[in-house]
Amino acid sequence: MSDYEDRLGESVSALMDGEATEFETHRILKEVGDTSGARDSARDKWRRYQMASSVMTGEPVSKIDLSGAISAAIDLENAHRINPLTRHAGSAGRFAIAASVAMAAILGVQQLNNGGLENADAFQFAEVAVDEALQNTGPALQFPAGFQPNIQARTVSVDGNNQTSRQPIAKTIEVGQPINKQFSEVELRSYLNDIMLDHSSHAALNSSQGMLPFARATMNGVAPEPE
Amino acid sequence: MLVKFWFKSIKLSAILAAIFVHGSVCAEPMSSGYDLVTGMTNASKSLSYAGLVTYEYRGNLRSIKVAHIVRDGKTYERIQHMDGPESEVVRRGDDTDCMRAADLLLGGRPLKSGDDNYAHLRDLYDFHIRGDARIAGRSVSVVHVIPKDRFRYGYIVAIDKQSGLMLQSVLMNHDSKPMERFQFIDVAIGASANNVEWLPSLMTSGGAEESVCQQDNTPPSPSAWESRWRPPGFVLSSYSPDDPDGRESMMYTDGLAVFSVFIDASESSQSLPGVEANVGATVVVLRKAKFNNRQYAVTVVGEIPRSTASRIAVAMGPIRRLPTKSLNE
Repeated sequence: MSDYEDRLGESVSALMDGEATEFETHRILKEVGDTSGARDSARDKWRRYQMASSVMTGEPVSKIDLSGAISAAIDLENAHRINPLTRHAGSAGRFAIAASVAMAAILGVQQLNNGGLENADAFQFAEVAVDEALQNTGPALQFPAGFQPNIQARTVSVDGNNQTSRQPIAKTIEVGQPINKQFSEVELRSYLNDIMLDHSSHAALNSSQGMLPFARATMNGVAPEPE
Repeated sequence: MLVKFWFKSIKLSAILAAIFVHGSVCAEPMSSGYDLVTGMTNASKSLSYAGLVTYEYRGNLRSIKVAHIVRDGKTYERIQHMDGPESEVVRRGDDTDCMRAADLLLGGRPLKSGDDNYAHLRDLYDFHIRGDARIAGRSVSVVHVIPKDRFRYGYIVAIDKQSGLMLQSVLMNHDSKPMERFQFIDVAIGASANNVEWLPSLMTSGGAEESVCQQDNTPPSPSAWESRWRPPGFVLSSYSPDDPDGRESMMYTDGLAVFSVFIDASESSQSLPGVEANVGATVVVLRKAKFNNRQYAVTVVGEIPRSTASRIAVAMGPIRRLPTKSLNE
């Protein structure tokens, strides 16, 4: 797999996380348009990542691809003629929006100032948590609660960039992209649940957190069971 | 002459009195944030307590009824979920004298974490007392635990002044935003918690899940896998060799944060894709690795930043057996 595709894969997952830069977004959009290539295109990546996200949020996986039909419909559509008056109205509207954004920004800054250090305070949690959810869900709010997936598909080799080990690191691991796309969604979900329950039952014994890990496990929708 | 002596002694006693009064005003123990946090792990093991807990993340809220009862050095735990699907866990925990790696780390004892690294909690986190607050109707000290690097998260913990029990724990990300909050809303500590109707049957039946105390932090049976990189300070705290499904697991802790690594060669893991996912504050990174023509699913799970988890997952590899090296060790 080429370097370029590596980076593209990263950009796509960044976009899903809402962390893509403008440049990356443009590159992805360009790549998505390119369906000709025999290599794994950005469009496929995007589709696969979305599918995995549906799998993990428990939504039904849609196999229907509307993108072709939609772009065909757009092509057929006549370009709208722009009324000069509406154009001015439009820019006035834009100005109004800009003004209100500035207003909101000022208010926001004030609020921030009021908050000060207290912002970090644990006692204001519920609000911040919602905020956090919005931040993490990325461009489309496609992951309401539960898993927030970000499927990786890049070749990874263990490099020598290792601080704790003095030994030279050989390239022993090859991590491939998910070759087999026919994984069952139920399988994946139950596998991850299983692993997380295992983790929390370990963590309850091996951390200072007392019973906290048990509380975490329930958030999965699956409560821990004695083994 | 006598008058002069009198004056002198009055002066002296005034000074002494001032010292004593001052002393008694400041007599309230001024323990450091570090002491409070290390004391908290002891309290959560050795105390009996029962109460109601809320767990919150991303605007989701769960309520859980917990009980942790210590009788004759043995620990019994019960966890009941008060909303969502009905479920209840009863288990026999570690004996109170079981010292796991996390307990040792929190006890301030350095543990060997690598070839030449020694982990010490103070090297990994800063501890600041943030002040007093009230949680579950009790007066608590709030301690801000700030990581010194970006490999782990910070915490705000509220510790009961009277018993030292942790009554609130908030996991903070690097932007100082809370990711999850665990908090008691009502708690009974000590003798008042001990009166539970389910305990006698559990003590006699022995049907509950039991934990096996793993005190040693070296793996009991050799794994074919090793971690070639982990964030500084994380030590192995437990290891489970291949289970019937062909999955082995290792768990690492720095005393506060915990992550697990699962290595799975089972048939069912073969078709899984590589995944990175978050559930609340927990991150799951699943990576496919090929070794000796066999596919493995390497999964890192923990309450650590995603970047850390990915890096750990990448650095998991089969042990290279170098004869000279093993002789030196």
